[in-house]
Amino acid sequence: MKQVLVIAYGNPLRSDDGIAWQAAEALRRKLCNQVRVTCVHQLTPELAEDVALADMVIFLDASSNAEPGRVACRAIFASPGESDFSHHFAPAETLDLCRRLYFAEPRAFLVSISGKSFRHGQELSPAVLHAVPEVVAQVSKLIEHLRRESRTPYHPRLAPGATSVL
Amino acid sequence: MAEPRTVVIDPVTRIEGHAKITLHLDEQGRVDDARFHVTQFRGFEKFCEGRPFAEMPSLMARICGICPVSHLIASAKACDALLAVKIPPTADKLRRIFGMAQVVQSHALSLFHLSSPDLLLGMDTDPAKSNLFGVLERDPQLARDGIALRKFGQQIIERLGGKRIHPAWVVPGGVSDPLSQPDRDAILNSIPDALAIAVRSLRWLKNRMEHFREEIACFGNFPSLFMGTVKDDGGLTFYDGALRLVDASGRIVANGLDPRRYLEFLGEKVEPWSYLKSAYYKPKGFPEGIYRVGPLARLNVSDRCGTPRADQELAEFHELQRSAVLSSFHYHQARLIEILYCIERLDELLHDPEILSKQVRAWARPNALEGVGAAEAPRGTLFHHYKVDEQGLVRWCNLIIATGQNNLAMNRSVLQVAQHYVRGEKLTAGMLNRVEAVIRAYDPCLSCSTHALGQMALNIQLLGPDGVLLDEIAR
Repeated sequence: MKQVLVIAYGNPLRSDDGIAWQAAEALRRKLCNQVRVTCVHQLTPELAEDVALADMVIFLDASSNAEPGRVACRAIFASPGESDFSHHFAPAETLDLCRRLYFAEPRAFLVSISGKSFRHGQELSPAVLHAVPEVVAQVSKLIEHLRRESRTPYHPRLAPGATSVL
Repeated sequence: MAEPRTVVIDPVTRIEGHAKITLHLDEQGRVDDARFHVTQFRGFEKFCEGRPFAEMPSLMARICGICPVSHLIASAKACDALLAVKIPPTADKLRRIFGMAQVVQSHALSLFHLSSPDLLLGMDTDPAKSNLFGVLERDPQLARDGIALRKFGQQIIERLGGKRIHPAWVVPGGVSDPLSQPDRDAILNSIPDALAIAVRSLRWLKNRMEHFREEIACFGNFPSLFMGTVKDDGGLTFYDGALRLVDASGRIVANGLDPRRYLEFLGEKVEPWSYLKSAYYKPKGFPEGIYRVGPLARLNVSDRCGTPRADQELAEFHELQRSAVLSSFHYHQARLIEILYCIERLDELLHDPEILSKQVRAWARPNALEGVGAAEAPRGTLFHHYKVDEQGLVRWCNLIIATGQNNLAMNRSVLQVAQHYVRGEKLTAGMLNRVEAVIRAYDPCLSCSTHALGQMALNIQLLGPDGVLLDEIAR
């Protein structure tokens, strides 16, 4: 059976930056047998080993560059990044470390939920909170897509820079 | 003859937290004095006043993102004293497991992520390559081992405490939940691989020592006291015991000291040029009472580890010098020996028939107005001291952090390295990296914020007395 890893990252004490953790809890409840979910404050080198064991990895994160509550999903690929500075490890760099250390390149996606407030606090903005069901729906579609791929002949990988697979 | 000058290294890289180093040069261009400045202000001792003491473990865990478990444990022990309870035996064992898992992951971070670039690639390597990715290119297995070992410790913390950073599982009176059998079995299954990594990492490190003879001779290689917690039989421990101090010859200076009475024998001095206080051993006065804590100190004060492989390594470690092992370069090897000990001891504790017991917490109302908790954090002895009122609200809090107890030694070490390597009007990256590297050997934890591996912006200037730029290195 295909292994799916969901990595939710962000700070739950900085308001909407914690939306990924909230979405991760919803995924655990809805898809408990289908995915492995892990919540972290930031991406670190230790995650590369977990990523290597997965067939698909889905990163969940908050963003700040769109209307609050908007959910965006895009394919991502291993890339070394512009600097060797682990304090700001990005999903692409995690994949790159995974490829260089463990010779693995799972399918990978970044699902971003646009936030409104990133101040100190644990409350999520209503618009952001209401986006959780859509996150669950999109992750479910990605998993279903993966399952269909495993039952059918080979499909080419998504082209780099593809903004959505849905 | 030239005028006196100052070299400033800001920030110090590949450490946990923020700091800078100033080197004062005399007229001949030789290093006359050196200072290690901690540039962060935290304020925990003040802003927790007025909080219910039961909140303290969770509050104090926020001091650090690398070693929150140590603060949880020391704080909970102080709260146990306020409750005047003896925690259940299973809770005692579970706290020990928790603490040792953290020692493993914290030591692994220090060695593999922060210091291994120097140890593998050399002190004069291009700073842009002196990071985890540089290690990965030269020795991918070493990089994998570091990641695996850190993950081993973090996963134990996550299984027990629910999350890797700031878990709230250690509470006044014990722990909040028992250990489940699936979690126990999963941890046991991961031990053989972790043990193999620890053994081969020690072999690798010992083989690297011959490349650093000059550094070993001047990296904090001076007489000082060493302090650590030991068991009744003089064995290494991280959770509970009495304090022992030895001098540079290895002679026991003080033994059986009750950590709860730390104020009787430990003092703290505030210096105007740093937010980090300097601790000292009171009977010797300041600054003669300089002492070191952490892995090097613990192995100097301990007669044994108590587990087979770690005891073999400790015996070999004690042979490094006829006296106590003085060079702070050997903190690295001491860290790996402690990792080895912790993994062996975790195996023993997890096979204990009581480890799955549901009796993990003692309940009581406050029964005392003052409590002290002490534990061995990865970096050294940690003290939490609280005074509360009749309602259980904190009225006074004093923390002695491990790194503060190494402050005098770190300053002296920086001076020693700088005097050996820094010359005249020409600065090289290798000179300054060695000054930083001696700080890394102590693995200071200055805050939870930063663990940069490599390319932080760094600018080093050598200025004349009139502000004229004489030399500059920037990256």
